[in-house]
Amino acid sequence: MSATSASSGGLVQTFNRNKLSWVGIVLFMVLCLIAIFAPFVAPYGPIDQSVMTRMRPPSMEHLFGTDAFGRDQFSRAVYGARISLSVGVVSVFLGMSVGGLLGVLAGYFGKRIDTVIMRSMDVLLSFPTLITGIVIVALLGPSLTNVIVAITVTLIPKFARIARAPTLAVKERAYIEACRAMGFSHARIILFHIVPNILTEILVMASLWTANAIMIEAGFAFLGLGVRPPTPTWGGMIREGFEHIFQAPWMSIFPGLCILLAVLSLNLIGDGLRDALDPRLKQVRDMG
Amino acid sequence: MTRYSLKCGLSALAMGFVMATSAMAQSVVNVGAFGADANQLDPHLSGGGQDRALFGYVFNGLTRFPPGSMDPTKIELDLATSIEGSDDGLVWTIKLRDDVQFHHGYGQLTSADVVYSLNRVRNPETSGFASAFSAIESVEAVDDMTVTITLKERVPTFMGMLANPAGGFIISQKASEELGEDVKASMIGTGPFQFETYTPKVQTVLGAHTDYFRGAPKLEQINYRYIPSDNARELAFAAGEIDLFYGRREQDWVERVKNQYGKDLDVLIFSPSQSRMLHLNKSVSPLDDIRVRKAVAHAINRDEFQILIGQDITKQLFAPVPSGFLGQASDLPRYEFDADKSKALLAEAGYPDGVSIKVPTTQIASLKVPFELIMEQMRRVGINLEVDFVDHRAWHALIRKDESPLVIYGAAPFPEADAFLTPFFASASIVGTPTGQTNFSHCDVADDEISAARIAADPAAQLASWEAAQQKIMEEVCVVPIFELMQVWGKRKSLDLGYELTGTLNLGPPITEATHFAQ
Repeated sequence: MSATSASSGGLVQTFNRNKLSWVGIVLFMVLCLIAIFAPFVAPYGPIDQSVMTRMRPPSMEHLFGTDAFGRDQFSRAVYGARISLSVGVVSVFLGMSVGGLLGVLAGYFGKRIDTVIMRSMDVLLSFPTLITGIVIVALLGPSLTNVIVAITVTLIPKFARIARAPTLAVKERAYIEACRAMGFSHARIILFHIVPNILTEILVMASLWTANAIMIEAGFAFLGLGVRPPTPTWGGMIREGFEHIFQAPWMSIFPGLCILLAVLSLNLIGDGLRDALDPRLKQVRDMG
Repeated sequence: MTRYSLKCGLSALAMGFVMATSAMAQSVVNVGAFGADANQLDPHLSGGGQDRALFGYVFNGLTRFPPGSMDPTKIELDLATSIEGSDDGLVWTIKLRDDVQFHHGYGQLTSADVVYSLNRVRNPETSGFASAFSAIESVEAVDDMTVTITLKERVPTFMGMLANPAGGFIISQKASEELGEDVKASMIGTGPFQFETYTPKVQTVLGAHTDYFRGAPKLEQINYRYIPSDNARELAFAAGEIDLFYGRREQDWVERVKNQYGKDLDVLIFSPSQSRMLHLNKSVSPLDDIRVRKAVAHAINRDEFQILIGQDITKQLFAPVPSGFLGQASDLPRYEFDADKSKALLAEAGYPDGVSIKVPTTQIASLKVPFELIMEQMRRVGINLEVDFVDHRAWHALIRKDESPLVIYGAAPFPEADAFLTPFFASASIVGTPTGQTNFSHCDVADDEISAARIAADPAAQLASWEAAQQKIMEEVCVVPIFELMQVWGKRKSLDLGYELTGTLNLGPPITEATHFAQ
């Protein structure tokens, strides 16, 4: 137990030393706060049209300019953060929960259960992420819930693979043997002794895949498979702007920058976590 | 000296070759059509906008609008040399030209081809325009060059019915029967250009029909390319890959390309304007209450539509029949924009806190963009439209199954009132019924007037019936006419169409025997 604390302490120290990770955290927190407090941050309603002020370039009145319907692009981007971030976070959380559990079950029980689960995951993995998502959204219809379902389904096999490998290693450890000898149930061993020990590795990937999920949502929206208009999403805004890319490039540039910032922040966090957990780097640290 | 002469000679030869190549390139016109592919290469089946311009290059009818015009008063003879009607207007005798050859050696035009084509187009199994020709009782060949058409009832304009490119084109019976399933089978016509090849999702290639009865075309070839993206068509024009293309029907686009490609590009804005009307299904709640329909009508601010789409390419519309159509009435009930009145009507109808209506609508930009503004205008008065944007084909299927309470629809049929009144407002055309067409509103208040106008022998009586029908339709608020949208195409300046373009029912500039590139 004390070894775990020491390890966690080292992890925090390593993470603290990585300043870029903190930039990522601050950036992501700012985006989250903007999304949460959107009604107070946005100067206009996100769907309020004003055709008299259509396609105005960025100005003090409209920081990101206006779109073809005269809607304030800054306000839309602020409200769009709610959709994009919630799709990213919720779908990764669901994918991590379901996929991680399947991976742990496959790794822990092995044999036939492992074969059934992992071959099913292989089948899902054999389809490109975007194609799988498009098929699911096309079948279920475009809506926020269905986009989350589609992205979740594409993430499940990835998390299953990530969770299975460390489970195979952890289940052979002495303390798991001890738990078994003491008659602990499988559920108790998995939930209280295996999952906590593989969670950090899954969380690293979760931070990176949240960025991916945001980009996939943007891709769906760009293809017209996302949330229904006039609800703003960053991908949808890029798509709307694409139709006027020559006249009003700001319509696509600013939502594109929003996606860039969100993805960058999550990647910086993920990189920091990975560096802190990398066993080779850990050895170097320990030697130092 | 000899070497110098040789050099000069070679240079001249090279120059000549380049000029010759350049001259050859000028005899091929590349057209950028808007669809991803042809809808159906059959002039009796396809109503797809992307096909109509192409059919105009390949086919002739018995009568026609002069190239570049869609004025019904200027309809002229095309394949016919004379058309004479009986006193009751039910029997028509048509003499054919004797100098008309079908493409690819399929022989001379005879009355058999006319009988075959008109029978084909009035048969619902082989035609998408059967209802427009349903007044024909029989078509008979009197001799090789004479045809008699007998009608069940008078039609508003018989010459116009024959000139209608939506079904009025004559095809070769021999080719159609011999070629069977071949894509060419229904593409053998008598026009200035003949069908050569079709590559799905790429292009249809037409060659010059040198035996064309009005003279051999000046152009040698038309490459009719399918380019669905507005931006891609524009870039193709900028790269010199297309010379005539379907433009974006928005003011911003028109102004920008005029500035950007002004030296090289003419923007063509012409009729028919496609109407944009909001059909209100009066058989479903809450639109079954006329106060709610009036609330919708008063919520529409046409000024905003003109600003959104463009002043030059739109006209405000207040009648259920578009402007320029024979029989459009002017003195009709108007529902001007008045948000307060709209809210009051809603409250009076029992919806003081507003009302929600679920609506599927299309993703196609020319209808989606105005619909997004409709959503906003409705929201301002408390009508929340819960909109499901669906694929265009799926939407067409849904609205024909009577599954949408509000339908925004655009059409550019033959320019007379009946072409709108019968399919959109006669009870026989109510969607979901066996004879249903496009009466999305379930309008049934003007059947008598619409029928009377169809069979009226006296033009004045016909106009009076049409006006009475429109009066009733507007009083019932079956539809909210919003605006009319003109056709917009881009043309390379060096391409001389050979006529003045003010309108065309082919929805794309005709390419005739006179069309050519200026040197």
